[in-house]
Amino acid sequence: MFSKNKPMWGKKPPLKSSYDVVIIGGGLHSLATAYYLTKEYGITDIAIIEKNYIGFGGAGRNTAIVRANQRTQYNVPLYKEALDLWPVLTKDLDYNLMFNNCGNLNLMHSEAAMKAARMTIATAQFHGVESHLIDAKQAKELVPALNISEDITFPIHGAMFHPPGGVLRHDAVVWGLARAAAAKGVQIHQQTEALGIGTQNGKVASVTTSRGAINTKQVLISAGGYSAALIYDMLGIKLPISVLTIQAMVTQPLKPVLDHVVSSGAYHCYANQTLKGEIATGAHMDPWPNYTTLNTAHYIKHQAEALSEFLPCLRGVRFMRIWGGLADMTPDMAPIMDGNEQVEGFFMDCGWGYFGFKSCSAVGKYMAQFMATNQCPDMLKPFALKRYQEHRLMGETAALVNYTPDN
Amino acid sequence: MALTITCPICGKRNGYEFRFGGEEKGPRPEEEGLTPEAWCDYVHLNKCVAGVQEEWWCHKDGCGSWFKIHRDTTTNLEKEIKTVIEEAGK
Repeated sequence: MFSKNKPMWGKKPPLKSSYDVVIIGGGLHSLATAYYLTKEYGITDIAIIEKNYIGFGGAGRNTAIVRANQRTQYNVPLYKEALDLWPVLTKDLDYNLMFNNCGNLNLMHSEAAMKAARMTIATAQFHGVESHLIDAKQAKELVPALNISEDITFPIHGAMFHPPGGVLRHDAVVWGLARAAAAKGVQIHQQTEALGIGTQNGKVASVTTSRGAINTKQVLISAGGYSAALIYDMLGIKLPISVLTIQAMVTQPLKPVLDHVVSSGAYHCYANQTLKGEIATGAHMDPWPNYTTLNTAHYIKHQAEALSEFLPCLRGVRFMRIWGGLADMTPDMAPIMDGNEQVEGFFMDCGWGYFGFKSCSAVGKYMAQFMATNQCPDMLKPFALKRYQEHRLMGETAALVNYTPDN
Repeated sequence: MALTITCPICGKRNGYEFRFGGEEKGPRPEEEGLTPEAWCDYVHLNKCVAGVQEEWWCHKDGCGSWFKIHRDTTTNLEKEIKTVIEEAGK
């Protein structure tokens, strides 16, 4: 990771005293933004400032699921474009991202949930995203391992089937984007902590780092779960964000048993089988804000109970690895992308909760456009921070979730 | 990620018995002259401190009382910090 050999994306450059653009955070949104700034706009004098190593945060901790079956007319086109970009990026980056569009099966456990799914599917179809409502029997035909009997805690009424979704190797996206961006001149500075943003006359002037100060006119904070704390600390801007730990785990490798991503809101559980054969599964978020990425027996037990109910063939299978990451949740479960609003030259891309991975390709493209032109692209306009003041919260949640007093 | 919370009535209990009630933001703003900015600030905005913060909890699976504690969000450990008012009252 920090060996003396040069990283695979290029040599370690010395930190310069000025850059056109400084990006705080070395995750996928940062790397994708840098990549598109070089590719589409010829802006190459960019520093990515990463406290740890690239892909240390959410980029390397998600469960690798990609999909475009969100709920509102603002979000669906963004995620659709992100989904459509994976095959394009695989070619452009010349890097095998291992995109497996095996399809997502989102289980519904009540008639109310089926009704909510009907609306989500109508939205998806309106935006040209393939998504179907299927009944329990059809779900069983797609995933024979499913338990569709009525003797489980949440019997399966049907499902939302979204064939174009699937899984993608998240580390490969990190490495592919880093290599392509570095080849164009983007400097990736790992083990470098951003400490502050200096402003002059209401404009961004500099970024202070643990390795010295950098003069710059544009800075983007897209540091995943750490964004909100950094933005408050550096600029005093408070955000409608709660940072929660989300846990995930993989089982021992099994023979092929699951060829779709299966998820369930009622069980707070999503699972897919990796190409190695492990069942990768994730849980709900811990119900209080914190910056640890620690695991709890509570969720290991919860995952085991959930999986062994709706996928009973997994009873007795052992968990091999377990980890946690941070999700920066907003009250409407939609992200915040803004720029040149609070401070000229300051951009933010945060509040993605657990949607950061699946959105990174398209968001990189649009944030690059935003930063290069200083004009907010239409696609990003609904995501401005002001919406909370104006009571224009997005309807990304079908039912209220209980993670903060905000809802 | 294990968390214990000290309820003023029931004592130190498992964190999963409690409901997180948000960062301490001071009193609810007065209705008179209330701006959308001030209301948004009170309802939605957080400092998301990576460190010790003052916050509200409800012992929902216990006595049901609401109370404030200080907790380090990077370790999930409670901190004993006397507030200025308590200090002044002594």
